Amino acid sequence: MGKLDGKIACITGGTRSIGRAMADAFLAEGATVVVNGRDAAKGQICLDEMNAGARAAFFAGDSSKQSVVEGLIDFTIEKFGRLDICCLNSGGVLNTAPIAQMSDEEWNLEIDWNLNHVFWGMRRALQHMIPRESGRIIVTSSVEGKLGKPGIPGYVATKHAVNGLVKSAAQEVGTLGITVNAILPGIIETDIVRDTGPASAVAMGLGTYENLIAAFCSESAIKRPNKVEEVAAVAVMMASDAARNMTGCLFPVDGGSLSY
Amino acid sequence: MGTLDGKVACVTGGTRGIGLAVARAFLAEGAKVVINGRDPVKGQKSIDDLNAGGRVHFIAGDVTKREDCEAIVNGTVAKFGRIDILVPNAGGGGDPGPVVDMTDEAMEVPMVWNFWHTFWTMRAALKHMIPQGSGRIMAMSSVEGKMGKPMVSGYVASKHAINGLVKSTAQEVGTMGITVNALCPGAIETDVMMAQGPGAAQAMGLTYEGLLDLFAQESAIKRINECEDVALVAVLLASDAGAGITGSMISIDGGTSPY
Repeated sequence: MGKLDGKIACITGGTRSIGRAMADAFLAEGATVVVNGRDAAKGQICLDEMNAGARAAFFAGDSSKQSVVEGLIDFTIEKFGRLDICCLNSGGVLNTAPIAQMSDEEWNLEIDWNLNHVFWGMRRALQHMIPRESGRIIVTSSVEGKLGKPGIPGYVATKHAVNGLVKSAAQEVGTLGITVNAILPGIIETDIVRDTGPASAVAMGLGTYENLIAAFCSESAIKRPNKVEEVAAVAVMMASDAARNMTGCLFPVDGGSLSY
Repeated sequence: MGTLDGKVACVTGGTRGIGLAVARAFLAEGAKVVINGRDPVKGQKSIDDLNAGGRVHFIAGDVTKREDCEAIVNGTVAKFGRIDILVPNAGGGGDPGPVVDMTDEAMEVPMVWNFWHTFWTMRAALKHMIPQGSGRIMAMSSVEGKMGKPMVSGYVASKHAINGLVKSTAQEVGTMGITVNALCPGAIETDVMMAQGPGAAQAMGLTYEGLLDLFAQESAIKRINECEDVALVAVLLASDAGAGITGSMISIDGGTSPY
């Protein structure tokens, strides 16, 4: 018997890394999961690897687009009858730069990808969850939702913003059987960090990808990156019925990087 | 198979309330657990209630005394051979009242009961955990470790102090496989709350029911928390999956604290 037996979940950015670890953990606890990603081929590989038959599905699309985020939620409800757990997980930077050099294109992409995607998803999910008086919304924020670093101003600003959104949403639906929480991971060597980390390292004045990882690790107590499974375990707990009284929580999984 | 199979845990103030719920959750996940309390009669009652045979053991002791704190931790090691998980959980407040008229004793009671007890047990446990290269410490803080309420400054100060101790200790042992976190529950109607709440409420100009309602209204869920809410997080932090979570002050307060 799993902690999430019969629950229906959807996850933005669920084919790889943190989102994928959440999907695997949810499936292991008995849930049905819809994962999302841009690349249909990666989506198929993900479904094959998860090997969960009818308990898993893939929804293709770019989660920085409103139609895709809302489409994922609508698709999940249409295919599986309802949505119990909505994980708004995807995000990142593409070509970050210090503020003086930041392009409008990059800024707008980060706002859409990290902040608007969470708002669009949360709004659509709540429209479904409020009448049912039941639901779990789990947002992947970051230690950068509480701290600041040079060279990644859009990421820092959007992650601060989603923390605020989570706190307000939790207050709005706190008596309706719906919880809204954020997980704040420290540095994790996800695919997205490996892909964009080298460019971010330059923007942050750290030179190399290795220096970037080392700089984040040095700020933690554990002096190592975090792991996707550590985030997934917290997500399972938040998604479970037992966590009905945990809401508006900014839950760090950062090896001791944050002071508050 | 549980997530804490074979682990040895020690919970101070484990015969009632939050501590008992944490002990019960640890036992359900396969751990061996020492619970502590002042009263051997209550201890036996809790042991009977937990019904976990040889996996649960009671050690009598008053956590406001250093020798007792050390004896509880060392007694855990003597009984079960090691200590993997420490939950310094016992605690409460002193005589409520405004700082301007507060006696030294009213400040000292919560500082010793909450803060010094946490320090004494933590220090004793780390002496075992550091050589074994693994451990989990979850100190019982409170939403009052992050916020403040009038008339209970001793409680508030002691819980803030615990959070500071947790953050420093986490940095000291972060690379040794030991995590140190603080649990910050909202108001819960435990025996200690029922005993001390009416006095604190009166000092704030409220009835006991009014005090509980104040806590409820400050939250998003508009109700007070439950012991099991805290146990849920304690199990997660104690498990292998908790290895990457340290130095954190986890809010278990229904959306009360803003950070």
